[in-house]
Amino acid sequence: MWRKLKTGSGCFASFPPHSLIAAGVQNVLHGTWGSRYELHYSLTQHLDLLVRQGSPTSIMVVFALLIINKAGGLIYTRTFAPGLQKLDSNDYLILAGTFHGIHAISRSINPAPPPPPSSATSSNLSSSTTTSQPTTQAPPQPPSSTAGNPTRRRPHTTGIESLESSHFRLTCFQSPTGVKFLLFTSPEQPNTDVVVRRCYEMYGDYVMKNPFYSLEMPIRVEKFDRGVAGYLVRP
Amino acid sequence: MSVYSFYIFDRHTECIYSKRFTQQPSPPRTTSSTLRNGTTVPPSLRQANKDSDDAKLVFGTVFSLRRMCRQLGGVDDQFLSYRTAEYKLHYLETPTQLRLVLLTSPQVGNMRTVLHQIWATLFVEYVVKSPLAPTEHTGGKGVGNELFEGGLERFMEAVFRPQQQQQQ
Repeated sequence: MWRKLKTGSGCFASFPPHSLIAAGVQNVLHGTWGSRYELHYSLTQHLDLLVRQGSPTSIMVVFALLIINKAGGLIYTRTFAPGLQKLDSNDYLILAGTFHGIHAISRSINPAPPPPPSSATSSNLSSSTTTSQPTTQAPPQPPSSTAGNPTRRRPHTTGIESLESSHFRLTCFQSPTGVKFLLFTSPEQPNTDVVVRRCYEMYGDYVMKNPFYSLEMPIRVEKFDRGVAGYLVRP
Repeated sequence: MSVYSFYIFDRHTECIYSKRFTQQPSPPRTTSSTLRNGTTVPPSLRQANKDSDDAKLVFGTVFSLRRMCRQLGGVDDQFLSYRTAEYKLHYLETPTQLRLVLLTSPQVGNMRTVLHQIWATLFVEYVVKSPLAPTEHTGGKGVGNELFEGGLERFMEAVFRPQQQQQQ
């Protein structure tokens, strides 16, 4: 499938996806405004360009964005492309709460052995010691590993960062304040962590800096909607 | 590139097999912990409790995630794996609702074929086809026989050790 890119001077450069992916060609385009547009095609950048331009629909799609607040409540939900099942708002609420709980549990089933004592971190902690999120169990477990060693800091065990299924991939980014950004994309979408961080930046710019937005409440900020749509919806 | 633990759950949501490949850290305290009513719990019992609790947690996580994937992706969507910064969990479900869960280090790639091979060449051969093993493995009966355990250890060595030796 060919995608035509029109430059300012009117000269057309057509980009067959396969040859460009294979060749990694660097093209230099001249625009009418006298500036030179250099398009560097590394593999990932080319794929990003395809995403922004709107390449074949079956690959590299962002399906939805969900934002969950500190307590596990859903504060923003938006679908950008079809591909996931149609769920009503109640289902999304339940899903967000479930994922919030699973995220907390996934921190506590950490099976990794502790690194050697020379490093500053160790693993295998229960989730109740690290963040403000509620624990989901009362564990009859061994005491925390820092009990006898006051100089060793508690490791920052993280929860689920990415989840793979046959039809979609879920990328979860947790901000330092406990807000979770869930991005549902197709499995082939590259750079999902870059995308979700950009959403986090927009959240910081349009939602957090909005003086009328109350914390942990559903997001009803038009600038944020427009910014996210402009970034995640392909034309 | 290392494997941390391996669980098998049957269709009755019971853990019929669990194996840890790494040593869990022993608690640094010298005294054993006490429960609320004052009785002390020996470390071995605590570890056993923790192991079974871990298995239950793993099953609960996997069950909820599978349900979530079905809800979002459709009835035929299959939950494959998830990754945190510390470990990666791989999941395979057989048509008989036997669930194999493998926890490895995060850099590991797709382990679906490994899980399928464990099921096909080890579990089916040494457990299902064993005339002494019951049909229902309540409490893990019949699963942890020598052939299966030995085969599993050899298999894991073959899959994971070569990478470790290359790194060293």
